[in-house]
Amino acid sequence: MGSLVTLSEERQRAMQEKSRHFALARRKGIFLPAAPLFIRFLLYCGGLLPLVSACDNPPKHTASSTTDSRQDLFPEKTKIKYAKGFSVEYRGNYKVVNILNHFEDQVDTLRYLLVPKGITPPPQYADAQVIQIPVRQMVGLSSMHVALADFMDAPGVLVGLGNLKYVSSERVRKRIAAGQVKEVGNGGDLNEELLITLQPDLVMATGSPDAKFSRYNTLIGAGIPVLLNSEWLETTPLGRAEWVKLMAVLLNKEALVNQKFGDLEKEYHRLAALTQKAQFKPSIITGMPFKGTWSVPDGDSYMARFLKDAAATYHWANVQGKGSLHLDFERVAPVALQADFWLNVGYVDSKEDILGKDVRFKDFRPFKQESIYNNNKRVNDIGSNDYWESGAVNPHLILADLIKILHPELLPRHELVYYKQLR
Amino acid sequence: MAVKTYPVLEEPEVVSAYPVRKLVLGGLLLLVVILFMLDVALGSIAIPPKEVARIILGQGSDNAAWVYIIQKIRLPKAITAVLVGCGLSVGGLQMQTLFRNPLAGPSVLGITSGASLGVAVVMLSAGSITSLHTVRELGLTGSWLIIVASTLGAALVMLLIVAISARLRDNVIMLIVGVMIGNITISLISIWQYFSAPEQIKDYLMWTFGSLGGVTESHLYVLASAMLLGLAISFSATKLLDALLLGENYARSMGLTVGRARLLIIASTSILAGSITAFCGPIGFIGIAVPHLAQSLFHTSNHRTLIPCCCLTGTALMLFCDILSQMPGSQSVLPINVITALVGSPVVIWIIMSRNNLRASF
Repeated sequence: MGSLVTLSEERQRAMQEKSRHFALARRKGIFLPAAPLFIRFLLYCGGLLPLVSACDNPPKHTASSTTDSRQDLFPEKTKIKYAKGFSVEYRGNYKVVNILNHFEDQVDTLRYLLVPKGITPPPQYADAQVIQIPVRQMVGLSSMHVALADFMDAPGVLVGLGNLKYVSSERVRKRIAAGQVKEVGNGGDLNEELLITLQPDLVMATGSPDAKFSRYNTLIGAGIPVLLNSEWLETTPLGRAEWVKLMAVLLNKEALVNQKFGDLEKEYHRLAALTQKAQFKPSIITGMPFKGTWSVPDGDSYMARFLKDAAATYHWANVQGKGSLHLDFERVAPVALQADFWLNVGYVDSKEDILGKDVRFKDFRPFKQESIYNNNKRVNDIGSNDYWESGAVNPHLILADLIKILHPELLPRHELVYYKQLR
Repeated sequence: MAVKTYPVLEEPEVVSAYPVRKLVLGGLLLLVVILFMLDVALGSIAIPPKEVARIILGQGSDNAAWVYIIQKIRLPKAITAVLVGCGLSVGGLQMQTLFRNPLAGPSVLGITSGASLGVAVVMLSAGSITSLHTVRELGLTGSWLIIVASTLGAALVMLLIVAISARLRDNVIMLIVGVMIGNITISLISIWQYFSAPEQIKDYLMWTFGSLGGVTESHLYVLASAMLLGLAISFSATKLLDALLLGENYARSMGLTVGRARLLIIASTSILAGSITAFCGPIGFIGIAVPHLAQSLFHTSNHRTLIPCCCLTGTALMLFCDILSQMPGSQSVLPINVITALVGSPVVIWIIMSRNNLRASF
């Protein structure tokens, strides 16, 4: 402890020394007579005037200030623990965000510089897009972006959305009703003219860095940065939810995200630890075949991870792959006939609906036992399912639902949030 | 190959060809039976042939999953393959005869695209909750909704075609009108797709790939009745078809009311193609390829022989394609439409190359 104090005292003294030096130089009105060390220091800094005052006063951002890696504008930082798709680096008075796409041993990167207003972006990243932070107005093209803004208590940041029909957040829907959010379209019919007129600080799109980025060239050319979100490629629930940190980094809300995500993470781990005691691991199937093909999640996928953490027996848990398997109906049928539970059934709301899809499903054990649970409890009046929106940033609630369904004795008081039983 | 020496449409020699033809017919029948059994026996789950036989004969099995797979999955699919093979081939044959065009098929009248339009309306508008709600009120959900929508679409186009055909005297113009109506419906679907969400487009796209697997129990009865009706009309119209083959003027001189014949043939094809598209999605190539295959196998243009031959050949080809689509040993299925086009196109090429006298039969 004593050494720490002396160290900081020493540093303080050095600072005082330095500022005295500056003050002296300023009083003299010239720089030349100053020590060569000082000149070298100035050259290193790359700027003359602003830094003289910057050393003894807290930094003020005038139009002419440049980036400086030794200044720390962001004392509150956030660290990425689970997400594989992006990284954040703090460089003094700016941040660097990389959107990553891991493909075998290669990593594709899209780089973004997050620079506070008034600071000139550093020249060494010519290929990077520059985003002015904190972002005040942004357009989100997917419902995940609504969830991110809502989680960060910043629904007001959204001025445009890809589709106004797919929104669950009450706060954002109020803004839509008040006409504060514009519909900008998505994919092929992205309304570029409207977007350019809106002039948002940022457009958040979905995709992965290897996808054709050229379709956004018009926007980027018009000075609107486009950030590609690839949270859907994450293979763990916490990894996907951790994309809230990207939003926090854009909004300069690191303190809030560290606290909120920290709580969420703790709760998720607590729930996952609960199931370790479970003796019986019920077998489950998910989804429904369409035209003879039954898609089931791969063993390394987001859903498979939920099932593992909820202590379920999943027949394809050992299949390597991050997406889904497209299986023949008869491949899945033997598993479905014997399963204990049937989850995430799709666009059905009752057992009758299920029979409407295919009468052969009545032979499945979950159908006979009434142990079919669908993730559509929070579908709202406009047909938007909150499971895909707030569910993505509340993995602990989804896990709690799954545990309540599969092991009701572990969470006797939990009430299902996103799931409901089909009868 | 000795068959090659018998020219087409020469009565005395056709008579002498009977024993050979019977042989071919017998062989084809045997092939259909073998392919049907193979289709039921093979699949991504390996079931011992003995067990398969026991299950089919109703003796059951200790493995409940196997019983389910054979009875609920493979048998309905194989029966659907038979129905589709018959229906599409006969529909194709009728269109080729009516329009005297070797490239005509059951989809040439735009009936298939009419059915697709019906499905597109349901699948692509499903996002707007109001329309879905209205449909729910009618008590239609899931599979039947798609089937009814598709049937309505096909019926609408069929009525249009029949109305136009009553005004037209020339079959070539009829053919052009049919193709154009098909184009109109396809562009309507495209507009709809353009404004739809990606997930909806994906569902619709999956439907256009075609599938024999979705036809179960009650569907099967409806599809089978529609096929029986369509084929019955076809069989009753064999004489008309034969006469049409000689040219409309000749047919007219034989006292045939060309208009009525055309109406009958269009109605039968519409029922066949419309109902198959409703239940299985648009399945291509069988309708074009099989009539050629049957003609080259049996060396006849007599429809009384050709229609049953088309049924057998079409069934065999469809069963074969279904076996291929399941890719025994693999976990996945390929869409049936991919396989029929893959198998069908080389067949068409082979026939056109090997039969220089193709023009003679039209």
